[in-house]
Amino acid sequence: MTGTPIPEGTILRPDPATSPAYEAARLTGDATAEDLESIRKRTSVYVYEAPVRLWHWINAACILVLIVSGYFIGAPLPSMQIGEPVEQFVMGYIRFAHFAAGMILTAAFAGRIYWGLMGNHHARQLFYVPVWKARWWKEMFFELRWYAFLEREPKKYIGHNPLAQLAMFFFMTLGLSFMIVTGWALYAEGAGQGSLPDTAFGWVLGLVQNSQRLHTLHHLGMWAIVIFTMIHIYAAIREDIMSRQSMVSTMISGHRTFKDDRPD
Amino acid sequence: MGNQTPNGFTLDTSGKRIVVDPVTRIEGHMRCEVNVNDQGIITNAVSTGTMWRGLEVILKGRDPRDAWAFTERICGVCTGTHALTSVRAVEDALGITIPDNANSIRNIMQLNLQIHDHIVHFYHLHALDWVNPVNALRADPKATSELQQAVSPSHPLSSPGYFRDVQNRLKKFVESGQLGLFKNGYWDNPAYLLPPEADLMATTHYLEALDLQKEIVKVHTVFGGKNPHPNWLVGGVPCPINVHSTGAVGAINMERLNLVSSIIDRCIEFNNNVYIPDVIAIGGFYKNWLYGGGLSSKSVLAYGDIPENANDFSAAQLHLPRGAIVNGNLNEVQDVDVRDPEQIQEFVDHSWYQYGEPGKGLHPWDGVTEPKFELGAATKGTRTNIENLDESAKYSWIKAPRWKGNAMEVGPLARYIVGYASGHEDIKNQVEGLLRTMNLPVSALFSTLGRTAARALESEYCGRLQKHFFDKLVQNIKNGDESTANVAKWDPSTWPKEAKGVGMTEAPRGALGHWVKVKDGRIENYQCVVPTTWNGSPRDSAGNIGAFEASLMDTKMERPEEPVEILRTLHSFDPCLACSTH
Amino acid sequence: MSQIETFYDVMRRQGITRRSFMKYCSLTAAALGLGPSFVPKIAHAMETKPRTPVIWVHGLECTCCSESFIRAAHPLAKDVVLSMISLDYDDTLMAAAGHAAEAALMDTIEKYKGNYILAVEGNPPLNEDGMFCITGGKPFVEKLRMAAKDAKAIISWGACASYGCVQAAAPNPTQATPVHKVITDKPIIKVPGCPPIAEVMTGVITYMLTFDRLPELDRQGRPAMFYSQRIHDKCYRRPHFDAGQFVEAWDDENARKGYCLYKMGCKGPTTYNACSTIRWNEGVSFPIQSGHGCIGCSEDGFWDQGSFYNRLTNVKQFGIEANADQIGTAAAGVVGGAIAVHAAVSALKKAQKKSQDKVEG
Ligand code: HEM
Ligand code: HEM
Ligand code: NFV
Ligand code: SF4
Ligand code: SF4
Ligand code: F3S
Ligand SMILES: [Mg+2]
Repeated sequence: MTGTPIPEGTILRPDPATSPAYEAARLTGDATAEDLESIRKRTSVYVYEAPVRLWHWINAACILVLIVSGYFIGAPLPSMQIGEPVEQFVMGYIRFAHFAAGMILTAAFAGRIYWGLMGNHHARQLFYVPVWKARWWKEMFFELRWYAFLEREPKKYIGHNPLAQLAMFFFMTLGLSFMIVTGWALYAEGAGQGSLPDTAFGWVLGLVQNSQRLHTLHHLGMWAIVIFTMIHIYAAIREDIMSRQSMVSTMISGHRTFKDDRPD
Repeated sequence: MGNQTPNGFTLDTSGKRIVVDPVTRIEGHMRCEVNVNDQGIITNAVSTGTMWRGLEVILKGRDPRDAWAFTERICGVCTGTHALTSVRAVEDALGITIPDNANSIRNIMQLNLQIHDHIVHFYHLHALDWVNPVNALRADPKATSELQQAVSPSHPLSSPGYFRDVQNRLKKFVESGQLGLFKNGYWDNPAYLLPPEADLMATTHYLEALDLQKEIVKVHTVFGGKNPHPNWLVGGVPCPINVHSTGAVGAINMERLNLVSSIIDRCIEFNNNVYIPDVIAIGGFYKNWLYGGGLSSKSVLAYGDIPENANDFSAAQLHLPRGAIVNGNLNEVQDVDVRDPEQIQEFVDHSWYQYGEPGKGLHPWDGVTEPKFELGAATKGTRTNIENLDESAKYSWIKAPRWKGNAMEVGPLARYIVGYASGHEDIKNQVEGLLRTMNLPVSALFSTLGRTAARALESEYCGRLQKHFFDKLVQNIKNGDESTANVAKWDPSTWPKEAKGVGMTEAPRGALGHWVKVKDGRIENYQCVVPTTWNGSPRDSAGNIGAFEASLMDTKMERPEEPVEILRTLHSFDPCLACSTH
Repeated sequence: MSQIETFYDVMRRQGITRRSFMKYCSLTAAALGLGPSFVPKIAHAMETKPRTPVIWVHGLECTCCSESFIRAAHPLAKDVVLSMISLDYDDTLMAAAGHAAEAALMDTIEKYKGNYILAVEGNPPLNEDGMFCITGGKPFVEKLRMAAKDAKAIISWGACASYGCVQAAAPNPTQATPVHKVITDKPIIKVPGCPPIAEVMTGVITYMLTFDRLPELDRQGRPAMFYSQRIHDKCYRRPHFDAGQFVEAWDDENARKGYCLYKMGCKGPTTYNACSTIRWNEGVSFPIQSGHGCIGCSEDGFWDQGSFYNRLTNVKQFGIEANADQIGTAAAGVVGGAIAVHAAVSALKKAQKKSQDKVEG
């Protein structure tokens, strides 16, 4: 670090007229004027409101259940001889777990969409990618360079960094929607023609024509979600350690704290 | 102006050209053109397969364990026979052996198909060439009853009231003016020779056979789950056996065996009480109609089938005979080797396909299926509206298979000639018995009627064989063997990197072979040479005409514009065009 | 022309009394939403209506649909053909051939314009100007179009007419095309299966005759009454599926006890058909009951979903061929590997930075 050392305990207040404070965050469309005002005064921002955090962990739990049970629906466990079929319900329970988790996931996702409308500004970030903003692109490439070890130091972000936003949008907003739609279309097959799930989602089978294709699409979707989860958890922990802001604790408390008080 | 073919026929195209398209009451699409001279005698015959689906192309790159299902769909009439041939070919390639029970069950299914197919063919596809249902309206039911009791004393359905009911129903049907399937038939053609009583009896059996055939196939349903198109399995049969223990109702159990056994008895009964007597009775009125011999007196071929013991395809162990006869030399039944690249070859010079090298024949392991639709210069009409074909060029979707260069006839008659010539005891007895009953010389076999009669005899023989294998199955179970499949080489990782195999059967219409090459667990090449490919074959590069064509030669037509005689002879082969081109 | 056997005659001959005939007419009226005053009209129509003419044409096929049809037990095929419909053209079964056969076809089309049912078995190939299937010297597709023009409704028999079936399996060398892609201006009832169950075939026809209307169709154009549920939904082995008791290999202990065939590739869970309820050949059995999994023969494109013995469908893309789990584990493996490497490099960088900071600081 160069220049005069800043005395301990100083809160840095950049001059808005001369310093492009939090430019990256501001211009990617995320940080609001209030956020900026707030960050001038404090080192933590309230980002994820309680419903978002609750959804995050419910969603994570459902997805884990869906992945495990879904895998075993596709490739069942070895046959078991616990008893006669009337007493034994191994496959039945696995499918029940899958459907129950699928239904909770669907309801939670609907709730999350509602909160996207009602909640704070950050609650909306999951549902769009600001591709129309040049600065967003710039920061996305910066973030890519950071992950490719080409940047020495990451930037600070209030909500998701642009790369994370992109991944979340594709794998969660689109990915979960796809899993929910195909999942319910599969469920509609068992529920029967004329049932509510069939009325709502039966058209999907009509679209892909063959139920086997539907299974395959749903199944491939699972692997996309698995891959997202792996990357996501890795990135969350890594950033917790390497970035300049809080990560995991943010998803618990809702507050983003920063490890230093340099702007940007 | 005659043109001599190498296989001994004189073709003359100077007469009037007659076209029959569609040829009906066959499986699939076929066209026939003949030239007739002014005495109404056929002097040139051209038979054309008019459909192609490309199964051999579609099979490339697929899992060989699936091939049976694809090839089974080559034909729903001889359903199952391609599937059996296919699993045999794949097992041969991969060195898979099957359990004894699987052999018995496969044989029962194959024999069951023979019987079913023969009966349906005779009554529902062929009979109207000999039988005039409209004439049956004039019959006296009482006299019909007497006729029935005379030709088959043990057939229970023979009262005058029974025949009167059928006749009334027929009457009502005809009087409705809606003639349905009988519409535009050639009912006043002098080629029909039966008295009204025989017509009524045979028409009644048309309906009886229609009811029975749906019972016969239940044997397939038990072992294969459905018919048409039952299920098969590489390595055995998919139906497990469990007659003694818990859960037997989930497998082949005593009830299932009883059902099969009762059907086998009904087959035998119908053959004895109805089918054989009908053929003799109807045949008696057409005794002098000895046309249609074609290649049967010259060159016939059979691969043999129905192995007594599992995995043993040596000729001596087959209940249906193997062998080839050429140039009418009944004293020499030649050995057939389907692996020999010089014996079986397919030519495409007159077929809508192309090889790299014209005039060449290819053994099926090296076979090529590459369509090329083009019409000869002398074709009349246009590319999509053919009036007359030019047989000097390509003119059929059927390839031309040859055995050592010879056009061959295959089918029940071929099998019976080979069996007769090689002294097969059951066959010899049957043939001699029939000729004696009908007071005919051996030479009468080589005819349209001979073909039809051989089919009936074979149905009867297969009925007995079916029982033999049923008993064998039960005995084996009794001995404690319930196994039906060998899964040691089910997993593709156990297969050699490259392999080739051949499967053979005797399908209802004749010798059937599938040749397969497997590479890296996938089908590299798959070629079928099918009974109707042999019989319906067009000319080859040397100019030999095929069996259909040969059989039509020199036939006299009562009314050239009404193709009763052409239908009669073509039907005697039971043509299956979906099979022939696949 | 003398008396025509009418629908009423047929019912009488089947042992139905005048009384129940009239009751049937009033039920029909009610079903059609008509008042009681229509009952005599319906009865009159039934009493005088000629048998409905059916034209049955054949394209690229294996003819097993016809074979299946003649296996019908209730009603018997002979009763359908002699008394219920007038099968005026069917090249597989009719007496006449060539010109006489074609004349019968034209005659029916002329005489019953707009009143006959066209049944199609097989399908038209479109490559090579349609000449992979020639009838009467012309492409079959022409005959199909001609016969469809004045038909009241079209029945697509089997997987061939409904979806293309085996000849349309990749690479579909003849461009075999299902009927509804060629005829787009007529009601089409798909009766898929390879072949369809005999009693389903006759059931569809008799439904149309009895209730004088087309059956209710599902989203894919199949009669809902026979095709609205999967084999798996009504399979008698389903308790073993729910219990997780599977055949693990052909002819194993579990196979002999009739356990579920899911792991042997049974396509019952993805196949809409009536096999597990109506069963085959007068209820004798159906594929699963006889130990082989369902191969999905009534589904669109069932030939191209990978091996019949794989539980998971093979996906053919970019030249590779694998099932979803193989693709997924491969991808997850690559990503996992990448993460591990990335984590290692990150740790290294962090350590570097720390020591650097120390030096600098
Ligand atoms: C199935 C597993 C998981 C899924 C599908 C998932 C999904 C998500 C989603 C969609 C968000 C965005 C939240 C929003 O904007 O509404 C998010 C954020 C986050 N998740 Fe997860 N998550 C999973 C597991 C975890 C785990 C195990 C951790 C902790 C180790 C974690 C840590 C975080 C953190 C720290 C954020 C905030 C990221 C940021 O501030 O940009 N997640 N997660
Ligand atoms: C992250 C979300 C999900 C994942 C990872 C997932 C995963 C899977 C997998 C791998 C299968 C097996 C597919 C096969 O090979 O046949 C499956 C089947 C299924 N899933 Fe999901 N799924 C998810 C969401 C849902 C949802 C939201 C529903 C809706 C209720 C659902 C309903 C089903 C149904 C009905 C089946 C078919 C079960 C059967 O065939 O017995 N899934 N799922
Ligand atoms: N030709 C022929 Fe087939 C027979 N029989 C098969 O191999 O008929 Ni459909
Ligand atoms: S649908 Fe199947 S059964 Fe019917 S004709 Fe086509 S291949 Fe044969
Ligand atoms: S055998 Fe097939 S249809 Fe029956 S329960 Fe098992 S998977 Fe389902
Ligand atoms: S293979 Fe076909 S016959 Fe029925 S059980 Fe399956 S739909
Ligand atoms: Mg071939």
